Parts: sequence; structure tokens; C-alpha cells
Amino acid sequence: MDLPRQSISVAHTPSRPVVRKPPRLRRLAGIGVRHGVLIVLALLFILPFFWMVSTSLKLPSQIFVWPPVWLPNPFAWFNYPKALGFIPFFRYLLNTLYYGVATVLGVLLSSSLVAYGFARVRWRGRQTVFMIMIATMMIPFQVIMIPLFILFHALGWVGSFKPLIIPTFFGSSVFSTFLLRQFFLTIPQTLSDAARIDGASEFAIYYRIILPLAKPALATVALFQFMYAWNDFLGPLIYINRQSLYTISLGLQSFLSAYGTQWGLLMAASTVATLPMILLFFLTQRTFIQGINLTGIKG
Amino acid sequence: MLTAAAGPRGSSGLQKSYQGWLFISPWIIGFLAFSLFPFVASLYYSFTNYNILTPARWIGLANYQALVHDSLFWTSLYNTLYFTAISVPLSTVLAIGIAILLNMNVRGLAIYRTIFYLPAVVPAVAASILWLWLFNPSFGLIDSILRDVGIPGPGWTFSVVWAKPALILMGLWGLGAPMVIYLAALQGVPTELYEAASIEGATGIHKIRYITLPFISPVILFNTILGIIGSFQYFTQAYVMTSGGPSNSTLFYSLYMYQQAFQFLHMGYASAMAWILFILILLATLLIFRSSARWVYYGGE
Repeated sequence: MDLPRQSISVAHTPSRPVVRKPPRLRRLAGIGVRHGVLIVLALLFILPFFWMVSTSLKLPSQIFVWPPVWLPNPFAWFNYPKALGFIPFFRYLLNTLYYGVATVLGVLLSSSLVAYGFARVRWRGRQTVFMIMIATMMIPFQVIMIPLFILFHALGWVGSFKPLIIPTFFGSSVFSTFLLRQFFLTIPQTLSDAARIDGASEFAIYYRIILPLAKPALATVALFQFMYAWNDFLGPLIYINRQSLYTISLGLQSFLSAYGTQWGLLMAASTVATLPMILLFFLTQRTFIQGINLTGIKG
Repeated sequence: MLTAAAGPRGSSGLQKSYQGWLFISPWIIGFLAFSLFPFVASLYYSFTNYNILTPARWIGLANYQALVHDSLFWTSLYNTLYFTAISVPLSTVLAIGIAILLNMNVRGLAIYRTIFYLPAVVPAVAASILWLWLFNPSFGLIDSILRDVGIPGPGWTFSVVWAKPALILMGLWGLGAPMVIYLAALQGVPTELYEAASIEGATGIHKIRYITLPFISPVILFNTILGIIGSFQYFTQAYVMTSGGPSNSTLFYSLYMYQQAFQFLHMGYASAMAWILFILILLATLLIFRSSARWVYYGGE
């Protein structure tokens, strides 16, 4: 690709016309078109949310009609207690929280240690081993899914959260390790050197200096992992076989197969399953954006 | 080994090496137990007949031979390739398009960005149920609107022809995830380049073609590869919404593999499918990397 490399110098030659500014009217029209397109798109993106909540507040008599009823009248709030009564929602919520919090702990602990080893300690073979770790990200879960199941089956872990939780304590979230390493690399080396001169051990530097400085990155990793656990379906589907251990995703799916046409109830349950993620997203937007910038493939 | 410590860094070299390995040791254990072992084991199982309950029996290439004659295998492969070939380019183009629009100094950027990203945080099962309702042929919102303008709804998830497009359409709802990554990349394009191009008389289209796209091309490469890997693994929506139907029109590769493994307990057969999946993804990735020499611009760094 050739970029217009030399064109900057042209700016200084007075013979050329200065920056061509489109007439005011045309510029305004441009802004209008841009916003028009964006607003239409934004409405299309919001519409499913609106429809989910709206349906969740409707009586069946307002659901199965044409033309569609946009705003339910009256609000059928009872869909919510009814849906949450059909599925032991609170139980599923606790299970999901357990899965989420335990794996967040695992990821924070192991990924930060491993990331430190890759980012802040110099050792022979580091680059090669790091490339191997990155390469494992390319192995789709489906490829190792079956032997993992056989392994966990042999260990007697199937039917519990162990297969989903224990690997995270052994750096299974390579993505998190990668993200933390990227962040650790940005911390000035002089901080570590000064501590080393003072006789601090490598672990003390990790624990006392790097971890406190890396709080934003740790928050990002924790957030991503928690959302992953909340949304995960295939993992619990394979390993969890008792209803008392169902996560919210599994519970929703079984609710769908049991009451496939009760759209008011299904939308109420879906709204309840979605709401915590949306709240979490709004509360942590800054952490989120930071995480996205960290995934940027610089460096 | 003992002399390895010599050098400017003094006697700490050897000790450092051992400390490096110590820090990454959790991952080393995890890598051996939960990645490398299953990876190799899955190749072994692909040459066996195994149902978990009785010991695995070596049957050589029989699983692979059976796959060649399994019409559902080919159907699932076709469905997955169809899905990938349409959804990856389509969502890439749309995500970049929206990101470029947002990057044009529009007011309310943060609000738009939030709106476009929001669907990406909706749990896949909840989104699946919601879209099943939106696609409902009798009272779904989409067909209701189509009926208003005089178009009969195609039946979506109940139609052999329209079920895959329905899932692709639904997938576009989640394009906020790659979109924010593109937006972050666009914000890294130096504005001097655009100014210089304006002086040269370049139009908006030219600027996108010759400045924007080359600059973000490494990100396009990265997202495309992730997108392809993701669509080869497409599972949850198909499992929840259509269970592969109607008439296997949404029987995607991962779904068929799951059925073979966990519904029929054909662990060996499914392992053979897993290895074919791995090789396909590897080939696709290599192919894109090969082609990337021609369209990815790395001059910025």
C-alpha cells in the first residue's frame, strides 16, 4: 500500500489552494445524513431490547395479535414473579455467581503470576514459551473438549463446577494472561530495578509493586471473565447434569424447552438474565473501554 | 549451564531463569494437563471406537472413512462454510462502516457506541430466545412489520432456506464487539494524513480507501481470523433456537460434533471431527495470513 507520504510538504507551497472547505450548507447536509443513518441504525439495535421488555409486560391476549401492540396496556407485571417461580431463579443465580466469582479468582491469581513471568522477568526461552502460549489460543475448544470430558469424567468431576473452575487456577485463560502481560509491559522497568537494589525478592516486587499498579488491568480481566462465565453455555451444558446446579443460561434453555410458546414469561426470564450484564456494563464502561484498548495488537 | 550467568547482568542470570519458570509454572501445569494432553489424546481417540463406558478400541482410520460417507457430516460442513462465508465479511464491512461513521467527529459518540455495543453483552441464550420470538412467523415483530408493507414473511427459523440467513441476521446484532475494536483502531490514525490528503484534493472515499483502511488493516486481519474461528465454533444459538432444524438446515459443524459426542457417545467419531475442524481452521488461518502480505499494511509501527 502506498500512502501519500510526501503530501505534507505540499502544504507549504502557496500556489496550491488552501484546504478545500466544503460550503456550509453541504457540510450541514453531511452531518444530517450521518446522524440520520446512525439514528436509524441505533433504533434497529435498540428495537429487540424494547420488544423483549414490552413482551415481558404483556398478557397473552396482547402478544398473539396483529398488528402488534407496542406498549402493553395494562402492564402485566405478574409475568416476572410467575417466570421466576417456574424456574428456581434464585438457585440458578447463586450457581452462576459461584461459577463467576470462583473463576475470576482463579484467573486473577494464576494469570497475573504467569503474566509477570512473561513481562517482568528475563529468562532464556521466554519468547519461545510465550509464542507457544499464544499459539494455544488458536486451538478451538471443540478440539480438546472430548478428551477433557473423558479426563474430568475419570477424575469424577463431571456433575460439578470443578471442570469449569479448576483449570482457571492454572492459567487456562490465555486471553487474560495476554492482556495482563500487555499491561505489565507498560510499567516502567526502573520501579522493579529500584526494588531489586533494595533487596526485594521477585515475588515481593510482583505482589507489592506490580499488582497494586495493575489494578485497572486486573479489574478489566475480572470483568471479562465474569461476563464470560455468566454467558457461558457449552461448558455448563457438558459438565452440569443436575438441575440444582444449573446456571442461568442452562435454566433459561430448559425453560424454553418446557414452555416454548409462553412468550410473556420467556421474555420476562430473558430480561432478568440480561439485566445484570447491562447494569454491569454501564457501571464499568471505563474499565471496558480500557480492556478493548489493551487488546489492541500493538507491541 | 553454570557459566550462563556470566555477562553484564552478573550472577543473577541463572536465578532469574529459574524464577521465570516458577512464575509461569501454573500455566505450564495447566498447559500440559488441560491443553497438550487433550490435544494429543483427541488425535488418539479419533482412531478408536470409544463410548466412555467400555475401553477404547483401536480401529485405525475407520472413523475418518465413515465420515467421508456420512451425509450429515457434509451437510454440517456446508452449513458452517455457508454461515462463515456470509456472516464474517458482512459483519466486518458493517462494523467498519459504522466505526468510520462514528469516527467522523459526530456528536453523541459515547451514546451511539454504547447502543451498538449493548447487544454484545446479552447472554447468548437470552438473545437466542429473544430472536426466536422476533422471528416467530405468526406473531413475531419482524414478520408483523413485513406484513405491514405487504411482504409475506419467509418463516425464518421454520424455513429450510431462511433459517441460516435468520441466524446470520441475528449475529449482526452483536457486531458492536468488533466495531468498538475498529473504532479504537481508527482513533489511532494520525489526523495529519487526512489533512494532507484534503489539501491534495482527496475525496472522502479516497481517504477511506488509501488512508483509513490500510492503517487499520492489521486490526481487520486480527478480527477476521477471530471471526472465522468463532463461526467454525458456532454452537449455542443453533442448539437453543433450532437444534439443527428444520431438515438439518442449521446443523452446524460444532453442533453435529456435540451430538455425536454427548448424545450418541461416539467419542472416537467426534474426535475425528474435532481434528478435521482443527485442520480446517489452521488452513483457513494460514490462507488468510498468506494473503495478508498483499493487503495488510504494517508501516505504522
